[in-house]
Order: sequence, then C-alpha cells, then structure tokens
Amino acid sequence: MSTASLPRINTSFFPKIITAENHSRFHQQRQNGGHGNVESGKQSGKAQPLKGNDKQPRFTKQDIAVYRNSHKHNICVDMLRKGYHKSFSELFALIQKWNASREAAGPGSAIWQQEPLEEQLDKLDQLQHFLTRAEAAQRAGRYEEVYTNQVSLARYFDNSEDKWLSDHFFESSLHTASLIKIDGGKKEAEAHSNMGKVYMEKGQLEKATEHYEAFHHLTLGRAWKDEAGRTHNSWACEGLWRIYTLLADKMLENKEHKQAIKTIIKAFEMAKEAGDKKIEGKAAYRVGLAYQSSGDQQTAMTYLNMYMELSKALGDKDGLGKAYKAIANALESEGKVAESVEYLEKFVEVSQGSDQSRSLEEACMCLGVIFNSRGQYDKGCEYFAKAYEITRNLRDLPLLQKTQVYLGAAKARKMMTAFSSHMETTGLVNTEELLAWKDSRNDMFSDPSTV
Amino acid sequence: MSEITPLANPRGVKRLCELCQRPARLQCSHCRVTYYCDSDHQGADWVGIHEKVCQLLIPLRTAVPFHTLEVEREHHRAQTLQRQEQLIELSRATAQKKLFEGKHQEAVPAALLSLRCCVEIHGTSALQLVPSYLLLAEACTGLGNLTQAEEYLCRAEWTVLKNTECGRRLRHTLHRSLGLLHAAKGDLEGALEHLASDVYYASEEFGSDHIVTSGGYFHMANVFFRQNKMDIADSLYTEVTAIWHRHLSSLLEAHQRSASAPADPPLEHSLSEAQQAEAQQVLGAILDIREQAPRPDPTQTARAAHSLALLHFLGTNTPKVVEFGRKALRCSQLVPDCGLTEPIERLLQLAESRSA
Repeated sequence: MSTASLPRINTSFFPKIITAENHSRFHQQRQNGGHGNVESGKQSGKAQPLKGNDKQPRFTKQDIAVYRNSHKHNICVDMLRKGYHKSFSELFALIQKWNASREAAGPGSAIWQQEPLEEQLDKLDQLQHFLTRAEAAQRAGRYEEVYTNQVSLARYFDNSEDKWLSDHFFESSLHTASLIKIDGGKKEAEAHSNMGKVYMEKGQLEKATEHYEAFHHLTLGRAWKDEAGRTHNSWACEGLWRIYTLLADKMLENKEHKQAIKTIIKAFEMAKEAGDKKIEGKAAYRVGLAYQSSGDQQTAMTYLNMYMELSKALGDKDGLGKAYKAIANALESEGKVAESVEYLEKFVEVSQGSDQSRSLEEACMCLGVIFNSRGQYDKGCEYFAKAYEITRNLRDLPLLQKTQVYLGAAKARKMMTAFSSHMETTGLVNTEELLAWKDSRNDMFSDPSTV
Repeated sequence: MSEITPLANPRGVKRLCELCQRPARLQCSHCRVTYYCDSDHQGADWVGIHEKVCQLLIPLRTAVPFHTLEVEREHHRAQTLQRQEQLIELSRATAQKKLFEGKHQEAVPAALLSLRCCVEIHGTSALQLVPSYLLLAEACTGLGNLTQAEEYLCRAEWTVLKNTECGRRLRHTLHRSLGLLHAAKGDLEGALEHLASDVYYASEEFGSDHIVTSGGYFHMANVFFRQNKMDIADSLYTEVTAIWHRHLSSLLEAHQRSASAPADPPLEHSLSEAQQAEAQQVLGAILDIREQAPRPDPTQTARAAHSLALLHFLGTNTPKVVEFGRKALRCSQLVPDCGLTEPIERLLQLAESRSA
C-alpha cells in the first residue's frame, strides 16, 4: 500500500526529482549554471573557474560543500566525518566562548574590533590539524603525542590577540601531562612551568607560585635538561626566585615587612639553588635592602657584603657599585660616617671605571652631601662639581638643575666663613674686599693672597 | 461504508482512492467526502488517520457555499486555512507517534494526508513540505522500501536546496534522515557525511552537548561500528552516554528540588514521548554493546545502566528501575572510584520508597 500511494503526487506536479544516480550530475549542472545564470548567482560568487567548457568538470559533494558552506562548517563536518568528535566539540566550544566574550564586552570594546575566530581560516586550519592529531593519539593511548600537539597549539597562539587560546591549551596540556607516567613526570613538570608562566603574565602570582612550586618539586634531584643544556631544576629555581621577589615587592607595598623578608629569603635560597651567581647576588642585595628598610642594619650588612663579594667575583662593576652604595647607606644610618665615606669613595672609584655615569653622579652627590654635612665644604664642592660635569653630558634637565643648585649651595657655604669674618671685622680692607666681590661675584675670599 | 459506481459520477468529477489514487469504488459513510478503491485501503486509512479526522474533512472537502459579501468570502478562506493547518498538525503528530511505536505501515496514511494538505496550502516547493517528506521517508525506511524512501528524501533535499533561508533545525532533521537512509543502503561513507552535517546543524541550534545532538553521535557511532572502527565508535558511545547521563541526572535533581514543594509536577512530562522513546532505544543499544564487548569496561556499563534506570524512574516504571539500578550498582562496585555508586544507591532507595 505504501508504495502504491506515491503516484498521487506525480512528477509533473513537483519540480524535477533528482534520484541518487544522477544526484552528483545535478550538482554539476548547478555549478555550471552558476556561471552564466543570474538565478544561481549567489552560489557562483565563490565558484572556481572551470577548466574547459567542452569538458564537463567532475565535482564531488565535498567540492560543492567547499563553495556552498562556510569554512567553519566544512572543517567541522570534515572532522566529524572522520570521527573526531572531541576535536569538533572543542573547536565549537572555543568559537562559542569567543563569541560569548565578545557579546559580553559589547560594541566598541577591543574584542569587538577583532576578526571573529571562525573567519580566520588559517587559525581554524591549525586548530583542526593539531586537535585531530591529538585526538587520534589519545584514542591510541599515546599521551606524549597528545601533549606535544597541545603544546604546539599553545605556542602557535602565543601572541597578544590569542592569549586566551594559548592559555586554554597550556591548561589542557597540563591535564594530559598528568596522565603521562612513563617519563617520571618530566612532561608534567614542563606543563607546570608553562602554566606558571601563563599566570605570571596574567599577574596572578599565587597561582603561578603553586605551579612553579609543583615544577620545582617535580624537578628536584632530576637531571633533565632543555635544548640549551640548562637543567629544569635551575629553571624552576629561577622562576620561583622571580615570583618570590615580586610577591615580596607587593608585601612591601602593603607594609608587611616581616612577611616580605620571609619571602625574600625564600627567593634568596632559590637563587642559591639555581646555581646562578648573578641571580644569587641580586637576591642577596634584595634581602639586604629589605633588612635595611626594616631597620636591621647588621643583618643587612652581611647580605650586602655577600652581594659585594659575588659582584667582585663576577667582575660586575655596576653591581659592585650598588653594593658599595648600599653598604655606605647602612653605615651612615648606623652613624659610622667615616666608614660610609670610605665605601662611597670606593663606589665613585668603581663607577668611574665603568661608564655608568648615572650611578657615578649619584655617588658624587652622596659624597658631596656627606662632606657638606660634615662641614668639609671644599671637598663637598669638588664632588658636586664632578656631579655637575657628569650631568651636563646626560641631557637630563631636572637633574642638571638639581646639581646646579647643590653646587651653588655648597660654594656659598664654602665662602660663608670668610665672608662673615670680613663682615665682622669691618675694616677698610674688608669693606673693599666685600665691594670687589660684589662687583665680580667671584670667589676671592678663599684666595690666600687677598686675605 | 457505501458503494459507488465510477460511471455514475457527475461529469468532470473524478473520485480517487485516498491512498492510491486509483478510481474509487467505496465511500466513507461517515463523512461522505472520502473515497477508496477497496476495503483494504479503507481499513488501512481508518486505522492510520481517518478515524481521527473523519469529521474534520467534511468542511474542507464540500463545495464552497455561496457568499455574497467579500467579507464573508474572506472569513471562509481564513477559516479553511486554519482548519487545514490543524489537520496538518494532527496528522503529523499521529504519524510521528505511530513511527515511535514502530507501526510504520500505519504511519503512512497520516503522513500522506499531512503532505497533501501542505501542498494545498503552500504549493509544491515550500519548505513546509519537508517534515512530511521526512515522515514518509522514515516510514518507508522502516518498511524496508528504500527506493521509495530515497525518493521522498530527494524531494526534501531539493526543496531545502531551493530555499536558501531554510532553518538549521530542518536541515539537521533532513541530514539525519539522509544519513540513516545511506546507512540502511550500506553506503557508509555517505551516511557519515550526512550525519556529520546533522551533528553540525544540531550543535549550531542546540549546542554540541545537547541530547538532540547526541542522536547524531549515536548513529555515527553505529556506522563506525559497522566499519569496524571500534575505537572511534567506543569514544562516540561514551560521549552519547555521558550526554544522556548528564541530562537525566539533572532532570532528577530538578525534580527532587521541586519535590519538597507540595505541588509535585508530574515527572513524566520532563521528557517528551519522542525523547523517551529515543533515549530508551539509544541507551538500550549502548548497554547491549557494552555488555557484549570483548573487553568490558565496568565504568561505561555502569553509566549506561544508571542512565537507563534514571530514564525508567522518570517514566515511573519501578521494576525496571530496580533491574537496571542493580546492574549499574554491580558494575560500579568493580571500579573503586568511579563516583557512580552513591547516586545509584540513592536512586534505588528512591525507587523503593516509591513502590512502598
């Protein structure tokens, strides 16, 4: 009965019916017609030029789909057809996530101006390529390969615009890495370090600490090395040192000195473990400064001396200068001015050797101020003059003005004693001297011949 | 039932069989507007749809009464249209129901009636015809008449191609039917292609982890299973089970939350009849496959059985709940931390409290 029921709707009644046999031919005709025919002009826009009019080109269904549908559509269908449904749902979810965040941001925001993910064909192709490979590997249970593919994706998207994609794939690679047991956690460690970096860039220090600590823990006592031959453990230590330093900075901002010192000592230990003298020195310097700011000059001195030794060993003149200066500061606040001056002079000496004009200028200013406060104006003047000379080459107007003022003040102080003695004695000679000075405004009091 | 003689028809009036369009010899004595070639067709139509629509057909098929006023004619036209639309809806629902019950033969008359009505309203190339084509194709596939099914589907596909503004929902159903047809014909690659499009459109419309989409995954898994690509099929079956499991669990949770209120909403309405039938079919098939797998995976078996138990709980079939629940519990206890044991035990308790 069912078959017999068809004839009521006979063919004249309906448009031409296409059966499976001539189905593909029908599509061809449609494609062909698309060129001369206005009616199907919508489809013809993307159609490839035909190779020859005498020969009917053969189109498969996929060829037609390429012209008819969006690239995203084709990629999705292609993945599904081959059974990569997880890749499909991941890609789909990512596109939806992007669209949702765009909607949430609203028109006018930065993301609104960006090109949608589904229209960036090369990115979609990359996603398809790596996702399907990862899924195939996952099915076969080869998690290392899954991990490699995910990391490649993350690296591919490692630019400012696609940061979120990169983060997403680093996260999933961490998950994959936790499933890899054969290599003793090397991949997991790498994934943790990647995640740590991601969170660092985002500024979420607590989470970054977690990941770096896991990284450090996993690499402890292992001899894994990267391409450059550096051990993973040392990378972990360096990362932790950086994070702890940043954390300590934050604590110092919030005036939590005790916590900050604890964290900064941790950073120092990490730096020591990393085996990099430069970092170790820097860490020691930071510890010293932290103790200094909390008022414990003695402990600060030990760390600063450590920094000094390390800098000396490394031949790092800039570092050495910094160490001398910090030590001088510490000594000064302890009241040991003589020793402080000694270190400052060393500082000047070191800085002169290197072409660190700024630190040299600072040193000179420091010395000048100290000598001034001790009443040795001529020495103060000498250092200020040096500082002034240096700043003249620096093209830094505010600094130049500052040194000018200091130099002027110091010179004035230097003249002060002679000037006032002249004023007090009020003899004729003295008055003449004063008048002569007033005319010339030159420092003639200190000239012994005139007195 | 009254007999008529074709020769005695008024001039220019052809009375054709409702089902096969041959000259009619019988007339339905209730409505007197429906004709049949023999009593077989009359009986088939009666069981299929005519019983429900007999009286509804009278106003549509009698001659238009004479109206003097334009307003009256307008009113009559509008009324006819409304009646026709009602008729389409009713006949489609009937056909769908018969298909779910597996009565493919009985679904044909209803589907045909809906198609005919659609043509009367919308013409021959409108999108509105596609659902009827799909119903007919499904019925034909069910009857094993693949050529006929293919013909209907080709018409549907052509209609969709012609109408570029066709919605995604319609495309998704069309591609699923086409995929199933190709699978039935043994053209597995073609089936995969259509099913992939089906999943794509369904995901666009509902989201990639919706139960509607899971139907596409399930059929794809079957095709991969037939292609002997067990790993892909397995991963797809897992996905389907996960989708249903999530959906059913959330339904149960929602029910329990609202159950504290005195006005207990009927649990049976949380899933439509069609969805229940689909879930039962899909999950049952997956459970069978899981149980017969050479290397049984207790977690997946437990999840499938748990989903079935949940489904029967929503359908208030308590003995089945207990049966599947026990099965799920047995499997879940084989895996130390699959996280399923506790919800299954809770479900069994609920079922016991209900039967008590």
